[in-house]
Amino acid sequence: MSNDFSIIGKPTAMVDAAEKTTGAGKYTDDLGLPGMLIGKILHAPYPHARIRQIDTSRAERLEGVVAVAVGGDAPNPYGILPVGHDEHALALDKVRYVGDNVACVVAASEAIAEKALELIDVDYEVLPAYFDPEESMKAETDLIHENKPHNLEKDYHHCFGDPDAGFAEADQVLEARFISNEVTHAAMEPHSTLASFELDPHTGKLGRLTVWSSTQVPYYLQHKLSLVLEMPMQQIRVIKPLVGGGFGGKSEVIPLEIIAAIAARKAKAPVKITYTREEVFWAHRGRPRTIIDLKTGVKKDGRITAVKARVVQDGGAYCSYGVVTILYSGALLGALYDIPNIQYDGYRVLTNKPACGAMRGHGTVNVRFAFESQLDELAAKIGMDPAEIRQRNLLQPPCITVNGLRVQSYGLPECIEKTVERSGWKQRKGKLGKGRGLGIACSHYVSGAANSIIRSDMPHSTVNIKIDRDGGVVVYTGASEIGQGSDTMTAQIAAETLGCSLSRVRVIAADTDLTPIDIGSYSSRVTFMAGNATLRAAVEVKKQIAAAAAKKMGCEVEELVFRDDEVKRARVGAGDSPAQGQPAQNPRGPNSRGPLFPQGSSSPPLVPSSSQHAEQASVSGRVEGQILRGSLQQKRKDEGLKDWMTFEEAVVAAIDFHGTLTGTGSYAPPQEARGGKHKGAGVGPSPAYSYSAQVAEVSVDEETGEVTVHKVWAAHDCGRALNPVSVEGQIIGSVWMGMGQALTEEMVWKDGMLMNPGLLEYRSPSSIESPAVEPIIVESIDPEGPFGAKECSEGSLAATIPAIANAIYDAVGVRLHESPFTPERVLAALRAKKSAKSLNLTEGVDPTAPERFREHGGVLLFKGKGPERHALDPARRASPAAVEGAD
Amino acid sequence: MSLPQFKLLRPRSASEAVEFLAKYSARQAERSEPAQTSRGSDSRGRLSPHVPSLLQSPHPHPPYVPLRVIAGGTDLIPSMRQKLFEPEYILDLRGISAMRGIRPQPDGGVEIGALTTLRDIERSDFIRQHYPVLSEAAATVASPVLRNMGTIGGNICLDTRCLWYNQSLTWRKGCGFCIKKDGDLCHVAPGGSKCWAAFSGDTPPALLCLNAEIEIVGPAGVRRIALHEFYTGLGDSYRRLQPNELVTCVFLPESSANYRGVYRKLRVRGSIDYPLAGVAVVMKRSNGHIVDARVGITAVNPAPMLVMGVSEMLTGKALDEGLAEAVSDLAARTAKPLTTSALTPEYRREMIRVFTKRAVLAANN
Repeated sequence: MSNDFSIIGKPTAMVDAAEKTTGAGKYTDDLGLPGMLIGKILHAPYPHARIRQIDTSRAERLEGVVAVAVGGDAPNPYGILPVGHDEHALALDKVRYVGDNVACVVAASEAIAEKALELIDVDYEVLPAYFDPEESMKAETDLIHENKPHNLEKDYHHCFGDPDAGFAEADQVLEARFISNEVTHAAMEPHSTLASFELDPHTGKLGRLTVWSSTQVPYYLQHKLSLVLEMPMQQIRVIKPLVGGGFGGKSEVIPLEIIAAIAARKAKAPVKITYTREEVFWAHRGRPRTIIDLKTGVKKDGRITAVKARVVQDGGAYCSYGVVTILYSGALLGALYDIPNIQYDGYRVLTNKPACGAMRGHGTVNVRFAFESQLDELAAKIGMDPAEIRQRNLLQPPCITVNGLRVQSYGLPECIEKTVERSGWKQRKGKLGKGRGLGIACSHYVSGAANSIIRSDMPHSTVNIKIDRDGGVVVYTGASEIGQGSDTMTAQIAAETLGCSLSRVRVIAADTDLTPIDIGSYSSRVTFMAGNATLRAAVEVKKQIAAAAAKKMGCEVEELVFRDDEVKRARVGAGDSPAQGQPAQNPRGPNSRGPLFPQGSSSPPLVPSSSQHAEQASVSGRVEGQILRGSLQQKRKDEGLKDWMTFEEAVVAAIDFHGTLTGTGSYAPPQEARGGKHKGAGVGPSPAYSYSAQVAEVSVDEETGEVTVHKVWAAHDCGRALNPVSVEGQIIGSVWMGMGQALTEEMVWKDGMLMNPGLLEYRSPSSIESPAVEPIIVESIDPEGPFGAKECSEGSLAATIPAIANAIYDAVGVRLHESPFTPERVLAALRAKKSAKSLNLTEGVDPTAPERFREHGGVLLFKGKGPERHALDPARRASPAAVEGAD
Repeated sequence: MSLPQFKLLRPRSASEAVEFLAKYSARQAERSEPAQTSRGSDSRGRLSPHVPSLLQSPHPHPPYVPLRVIAGGTDLIPSMRQKLFEPEYILDLRGISAMRGIRPQPDGGVEIGALTTLRDIERSDFIRQHYPVLSEAAATVASPVLRNMGTIGGNICLDTRCLWYNQSLTWRKGCGFCIKKDGDLCHVAPGGSKCWAAFSGDTPPALLCLNAEIEIVGPAGVRRIALHEFYTGLGDSYRRLQPNELVTCVFLPESSANYRGVYRKLRVRGSIDYPLAGVAVVMKRSNGHIVDARVGITAVNPAPMLVMGVSEMLTGKALDEGLAEAVSDLAARTAKPLTTSALTPEYRREMIRVFTKRAVLAANN
């Protein structure tokens, strides 16, 4: 495969970098409209309560208040999954977590709106609430959703191969419980939505709706708005301005997005709502607290014989992406290593807390922490090097795993090899002295889900390209730039394919009126799917240009090379690099298979037949004369046959020839990649998987339990790095975010109250804690990815947590079963190991082997009974017995 | 969260500031509890009708203060957004240049204006040379950006902190409020009537070790008190400062100059965080023996505390590991952490022990 590219593979500044770094760029909250009002949401103070009555009259009378919206204004339920339409934008009958949305005040200013919130009288009947998922599963009465018995959102039971036989065959079997506490995305930009209705010119009533929103999924938002507002989708336009990070937190419809539209309809004026940071925490949709009971068996030679996992996820009060999360947790046990027998039991449980959803590394991260930790322990048991045991269990792709996942490109062996080499693993492991150690772990992730949320055969991404006489290339894509580099990737692929400079390409993205559908920026699908669609659209346009250029140059289209804003005849056999002889029209090389050229031709003809186009040409007459500037070009035009053309000339020739110059490409994952037939098989399959291996070097202060991560070597197989600097950024960001979950980040709860709903107390690492990260890019050149590219933004995260856990084990010999590894947990484990004076952190629960969730994790706010509650406090007003049970 | 509305007062001199204070705290005296209910919608109206009894609580609340003083604003502004304070007036001291600066005194010692930023203290060669413990403590406060704004006076007057208090109005409504603000129950010491919010400033333990004094200006004139007398040990009324008074100055005496000094701070992150436990140590040695030593701790009590008995224990001795451990036991006994912040009280007390030992040993080296 040729590596001679002019645009891709080179470090490229993001196309929106200048806007963002100078502050010129506009995020949703920067936007304003004439007559715009501000919306503020009233949140529930109780974790579980029935709403008897809402009286908004006092609030409505406050000067400056325009409208107050309540649940009845738009009672239709919605949810991101078709099976989980359990949310109402504003509560109808019940509130299900502290922070649930009750009403929305629309006022002239934020201060007035806040004042009005205090004037809304809500009469609640407080119900017993459920905070612990294992307790919640026993519930018979006061269910969170009446149609979900035992507060069980969904459970799945999968068995592949023969796990019992596998365990019987094993020489070593380990079984343990792991707990990962809840984390959230903490994206820099809080959610914000601006909604505005146009007046219908015929009726004078409210007509079309335009919504600007910080979202990863404009098309899902359009769909859900249509459901709730009972408007046809084509009457709704969703525009995504710049987004300051999503990480999954904006990958579904967040209540404020719908509430803003409802409020705008009621107030008959544009309404903007921007969440406070506290509201962002309540909107949440982060990674659920997870209990993983894991059993793994290995042979003496290191081969894994069977894995059994029981996973319970504390999903919060609504379904959100929950069904998908619990399925990913099971499905992604496969496709990293060759595991012949897998048993998986997953339970997604409802509790009275904000809903969990998708977060970077959706579903895989917590289970991967457990698995990689246990594999490390097993390696120690059989006396094998932790890196080697991973090398003993590699897949042999192309293959289909026991749970039906198709694996083609597989860079894991090289990832392990490179991290081991760069970190000096063999020379340094175990020789770093007291309190310092190395740990290794691997992970993987999907490059987009092969099955979309709404099952259909429709394309997941469609891209249109328009080139006009000025030689400017405009790419229309629904893919959502959320800071990950989507627009840059799109421009790069278009420019590379068309052989033009990057500055010619303008990307118009994520505006449902302008751009063709793309299901959104989540599950790391954009480069693979929108990238492929862009590539196809560009190839289609290029065919048209090539046909016209070939005519002007008197050659065959196959001879043309598009590069550096020029169209040239290739000097065949002149000893140039293969790319010159075989131009970039077919960047996928001779190995290419898959849907781009289904006929399987290794060198597809650019146009079916250029001669038949000759007769149709020339509709536009002398039109090019108006566009070609300067007499030189005019002169060149009259010179007759050319041996080369500028890109502009070729474009003009093509427009002259075809009349217009547009192309469309779309992408739907191939049928072979869509997974097995079992219940829940739809989640997990992907057209390609990324692979990652990491080595972490940490030191542990044995007196304080503080863990310092010094360096992380992170190798990631991204297929091909279209923009290496962006790939490195994603790897570093993943390591950093993983480190946050490993060491400091944790949502702490008490009676359904989130104790740390702010960035001061929810501690994401600061730059001081950031270790040196050495990103190592591994390119396995995927046969179906655009130019061979795959996912690079999520897969690395999952390896960081177990790599750090394993390094802590290497450093001080304690195995931590619960994340994050806060100093108190580490110290408690160290004390337990040394039988020193114990540090009672955990209500008598062994910190090294937790049996259940403590309500506040290790951050123990109360021991024993808890406080005497106020007479009006929810916990006391509810029936005491039930509350005690829920505690 | 929006800032409540207020009127901004900007005095040019300390005396003008005191005039403003006298004037508007006099207003405050007229407008005690009943008068405020007439303000209706905001401060009282926030308690929706179904929780009226919270208002008639027998617990004596700190009196409503219609005026708040702002220097750097790093403590006040977030609290105002959370509606912990809804003053009618904000007295902005930043125009009073006389209150800013580090002024070594002719007769020894140094006078530090209350408006001196933590950044200036951290960077001052004079402080670093003669009072290193203060320099070190100032350098650990929050983050560089906040130190550019935050002042030494503000750090001394810092409001006490608690997870149940430093939250938004909506949040606090969910937990039924607490003693420190709007409620009558304590969530960290159930059943108790004392507020345990933790004093979480970094420089006060260092200043206590240095026997600092502060100058307070009020309508009655100027008074100078030892810093340790400034704190009450209560979480709610945590300082002895009348609403019409102002802290203008910190004095460090000549007698505590040139002590070795170390500050150690427990926090989860290396920046931004408030201390979860903090230890300041100063020590003077002569011929390998300790002549004098003091240990101050912070963030584990409602006030910064000097650990009693340290000097007696150490004076005249050469420090060894065992002695350092004995001192750290004293410090750990002085600490009474409760669940006011992240990390368990047990752990934080344990870290007072570990950090004291380390700091004492480091100061000795």
